[in-house]
Amino acid sequence: MLPLISIILATLAVGTVATFFAGARARWVALGVSTVFLIEVALLFAGYTGWPGYSTSLVPGFSDTETYAWIHLSWLRINYAVGVDGISLVLILLTAILQIATVIYSWGETHRPAGYFGLVMLTCLGSFGVFVALDVLLFFLFWEAVLVPMFFLIGYWGGPNRRYAALKFFVYTHVASIVMLVGLLALVFYSGATSFDFSSIYAAARGLAPEVQVFLFLALFFGFAVKFPIVPFHTWLPDAHVEAPTGGSVLLAGLLLKLGGYGLIRWAVEVLPYAIHALQPLLFLIAFLSIIWGSVLALAQRDLKRLVAYSSINHMGIVLLAIALDSSLGLLAAVLLMFAHGIVSGLLFMTSGSVHHQYGTRDIHTLGGLTPTAPGLATLLMAGSLASLGLPALIGFPAEFTAFVATWNGIGYWVLIPLIVLVVTAAFYLWMMQRVLFGPQKGLPAEVPGLPWYESAGMGILLAFTVLFGILPSLLVNVIVNSPVKGFPGT
Amino acid sequence: MGLGVAIAFGEMLSPGTYTNVQITWLHLPPAPGVFPNGFSLVMGTLVDPLSSLMLVVVTVVGFLVMLYSIGYMHTEHGLPRYYAELSLFLAAMTGLVLANNLLEFFLFWELVGVCSYFLIGFYYEKPSAASAAKEAFLVTRVGDIMFLLGIFLFFYAYATAGPNGGWAANGFVFAHNGSPFLAGVMGRNTPLLTVAGLMILGGAAGKSAQFPLHVWLPDAMEGPTTVSALIHAATMVAAGVYLLAVTSVFIGFTPTDQLAIVAVGGFTTLFAASMAVVHPDIKRVIAYSTISQLGYMVLAVGAGFAMVGLYHLFTHAFFKALLFLAAGSVIHALGTQDLFKMGGLKKHMRVTAAAFAIGGLALAGIPPFAGFWSKDDILGSVYSTLGSHPLYWPFFLMAFAAVFLTAYYIFRAWFLAFSGDHIRDPTLPPPHEGPWVMQVPLVILSGFAIVAGLFVFAPGFASLLSGAGIPPTYTPTDLGLSAISVGLGAGGIGLAWSLWGNGRVYVLPDDSALQPLRRLLLNRYYFKVAYDAFGLRVVYTVARGADFFDRFVIDGTVHGFERMFGAASDRLRRMQSGVVSDYAAYVIAGLLAIFVLLLIVGPYVVARLGGA
Amino acid sequence: MTTLALTGFLGLSAALLGVGVFGILTRRNFILLLIAVEVAMNAAILNFVYFAAFPPNGGSGLSGQAIAVVLIGFAATEVAVGLAIVLALNRLKGTINVAQATDLKL
Repeated sequence: MLPLISIILATLAVGTVATFFAGARARWVALGVSTVFLIEVALLFAGYTGWPGYSTSLVPGFSDTETYAWIHLSWLRINYAVGVDGISLVLILLTAILQIATVIYSWGETHRPAGYFGLVMLTCLGSFGVFVALDVLLFFLFWEAVLVPMFFLIGYWGGPNRRYAALKFFVYTHVASIVMLVGLLALVFYSGATSFDFSSIYAAARGLAPEVQVFLFLALFFGFAVKFPIVPFHTWLPDAHVEAPTGGSVLLAGLLLKLGGYGLIRWAVEVLPYAIHALQPLLFLIAFLSIIWGSVLALAQRDLKRLVAYSSINHMGIVLLAIALDSSLGLLAAVLLMFAHGIVSGLLFMTSGSVHHQYGTRDIHTLGGLTPTAPGLATLLMAGSLASLGLPALIGFPAEFTAFVATWNGIGYWVLIPLIVLVVTAAFYLWMMQRVLFGPQKGLPAEVPGLPWYESAGMGILLAFTVLFGILPSLLVNVIVNSPVKGFPGT
Repeated sequence: MGLGVAIAFGEMLSPGTYTNVQITWLHLPPAPGVFPNGFSLVMGTLVDPLSSLMLVVVTVVGFLVMLYSIGYMHTEHGLPRYYAELSLFLAAMTGLVLANNLLEFFLFWELVGVCSYFLIGFYYEKPSAASAAKEAFLVTRVGDIMFLLGIFLFFYAYATAGPNGGWAANGFVFAHNGSPFLAGVMGRNTPLLTVAGLMILGGAAGKSAQFPLHVWLPDAMEGPTTVSALIHAATMVAAGVYLLAVTSVFIGFTPTDQLAIVAVGGFTTLFAASMAVVHPDIKRVIAYSTISQLGYMVLAVGAGFAMVGLYHLFTHAFFKALLFLAAGSVIHALGTQDLFKMGGLKKHMRVTAAAFAIGGLALAGIPPFAGFWSKDDILGSVYSTLGSHPLYWPFFLMAFAAVFLTAYYIFRAWFLAFSGDHIRDPTLPPPHEGPWVMQVPLVILSGFAIVAGLFVFAPGFASLLSGAGIPPTYTPTDLGLSAISVGLGAGGIGLAWSLWGNGRVYVLPDDSALQPLRRLLLNRYYFKVAYDAFGLRVVYTVARGADFFDRFVIDGTVHGFERMFGAASDRLRRMQSGVVSDYAAYVIAGLLAIFVLLLIVGPYVVARLGGA
Repeated sequence: MTTLALTGFLGLSAALLGVGVFGILTRRNFILLLIAVEVAMNAAILNFVYFAAFPPNGGSGLSGQAIAVVLIGFAATEVAVGLAIVLALNRLKGTINVAQATDLKL
């Protein structure tokens, strides 16, 4: 069998380097690499062996696994171990979709394009690595590899306050990473795992004392949750989004937040089953707080990107809620939600970026009556908003519905909190649309450049997937549930 | 659409048959633990008596409104958008009608809601239209949330009590041949089912604009009149009633739920009718009338007569669409919706005047027009239950009183617009009848408004109505009640004629004791003001406060840490004096600290812990 | 007897160390500072010599003597470098007060 994951990693790595040195042709290289990446991801789907009774892989339940010795000392066994299951496959698909959409959307980037596209490629490389790594050290390396390009994307291509935002982003996520690293290393050494591999840690962590599990979980949770982000460690997100270039915002919301969710599922929830059970009330509290806070604050925002950023906090709060339910249905919902949010928030950030490119501002109070001047952009913004507030036949609905069923199944009437917040979510999107898209025209420049084809194409790709998976969510669900996770049929 | 009509009439010819086709939308195979039987959500179509009845309404009215639109909308901009959204609406509405389970029902329910949002906001340059669209979406969203919770509760009830056990929603389809299976399985009055039923009622109240979620429907008149006729009178707003009917037929309500439904419906009839009495806007008068009539349907379903309610839905769809299209014809000719500017139109617009009068007579419940049969059947059916449910009495009386108001306000509108010999506002353009594409639907709908009530005596239709639940029936008691209600209706028309007939305009004296009431009614009982204040003042203020908190307290804490570390590092920096002996001193201090740790603290800790 | 003698010797080197440390902390004159460092260092060298004379655990004590010799050489080197710095400092600043030699401070 082909070592497909290594081939993809090599493709992305070579592609990244090539993009950095491609000068003015960087966008063509980036597009080519993204296309190859998408094809390879399709092959990965085609060859997925996680289906029940089909597992031929080295690590039970994972597909396309590869393990090579990397750093072996007498007591230290670090491997290059990679593999995918249904959860990571879906998020890898998200990576591939967002990468190609971002590259196309950013086609007109003229400010040092080689650096820009190279950093975009590097971000996607890191994300892909996080999703496939089955070794603690490898996971951490890729995790950190995502921070650096994002720091430069914000800090160099960003808005007027970019230095502040980039530094804030970096300090927040880096402090969280360090706590997470301590947690991961403690997990390895306390559990007495024979190697840094996921499978050996998974097996060894069963024997940990309950209190130790709780402490380890808290450390890991802090590391992952700042990425989510959870309230009150969320203030880096709106600043980073507002200052980041559009492509950066898309990757930040679409991929970086998902790393937190994926990490939590893979390295904390699965590995420390007792801890999540013990800490459930705390997690619920944080999740509800994030859900309410994100939604209510979005209502008060004037900047389109800040509004979408706060709605991300709300949606990722639902993801945390679904994960904290500690049920297979909850996990399914969490992964679906992450995928849905990745696509939809990408679309929304792109539309906000286009509004900025067209009209020179994203201020909701300044703008008004955009629809006649840019019907296509208005339609896309409306479609994104409707998908984000959970309209059926768009991707947000099956995800949110599953999450609410899982919540109801797990904690009963507490489901009212996210349900009622849904009204607030609808309110801030509708109000935003009323002010920005409808009503008499105001605050518009005399000359509007018109939406370039590449921006429409980038948004069109995301919209197409929003509709496709909204109508046929089973395409994703069938992959997710065939994962080696407790309660799923695949086990 | 023709296909839909064919299916519907085909069903009429072979009543009582169920055609159920479904596919699996989202499926989790069985696994130990949470999914003992798997988890499955299906999408399917179910053609049964209920859905075929609705299908007739949706397709016939939809077709006529489309036809009418060709004339009514021909001067507008954005016609591709208009027809696309209208077609999407019809598709979604057909999907809703044919849905074979609650989840699919909800899916299409949301889709028709969003189409309604688009179409209310069709004239999006108008701030009032954009605002009304948002309001409609939000208010129905409140209902939708309750509906969704109701679905969860029913799923849960089914999962625990249903024959399959577990979360097999696959079995949760409306294909139980008209038996309220869940109530049958769980017993008639469990708390869970009661709450679930109340939530379904909440969803229906949002969509059908029942009290207290009624505020959006009058404002939805900002959309084109054709949209008001199709969506906000005939089809979509009736979906709430349809939901209640479907739920009552296939799942079953508990007695507590029934009382709540009767209360909401009965109260809404009078409440909405009272607001229609004073309103000067021709479309809003009809809109209030829609709310009021939907109240009758809800009342009937709540009292356990789902098919009677649907029968009224059926007749109401035709005469209410007729009224709206006739009003649209007037608006098309004059460009105003203010009744007090109109007058004497019957000379210029004979077809429209006749159509509006037929619609009005049907609405007022004058025999043999359509509204008489269905409305009186509702009153009669509810009356027959009063013996066993004394609490139904006040709501029955409210509905009865609303008959009088209904006749009064609709003929007030007719007299104001059509009677007299001249237009009150001379600046308006000379009135003229619309093109034939606008007149033909009026004629066809007038025909339906006359005869639709008589369908109940056609054998095929009657057996269709009896296909699920208790069919409409006529007993001698009904006839007595009918006499009273027709009398009330005639009285209402008479009062309208005496105050407004022949071009008269009745002005309420300033010192009249009724002035405060009039103001209350004109201000719609201050509901909209209160909701707006709640939204803008309370929620937005809270949001602004939270934003302030976020920026200055949470982020302020972050910046505080930043300053603290900055200040601390500033102090520490000063230690680097450059003086060698200072450094030497630090080295020695460090050495001392190590000695202290190793020789004093270390043994102490070991002594305390090591022994254990 | 040997333990008692060792204790006395160790007391001597501790006293020497104290003198050296006191000098390091109080003197500002570079040459005096160097002398103080030497005194403290000699205390350490003395310790090696004592333990070579009274080897613990029956060792030969040779390694202690060897290290003492190396350290004496080391001290000589240190003084040579130190005095070279003093000369350079004096040429640069016209003073050998360490409190004024702060050019490398950030």
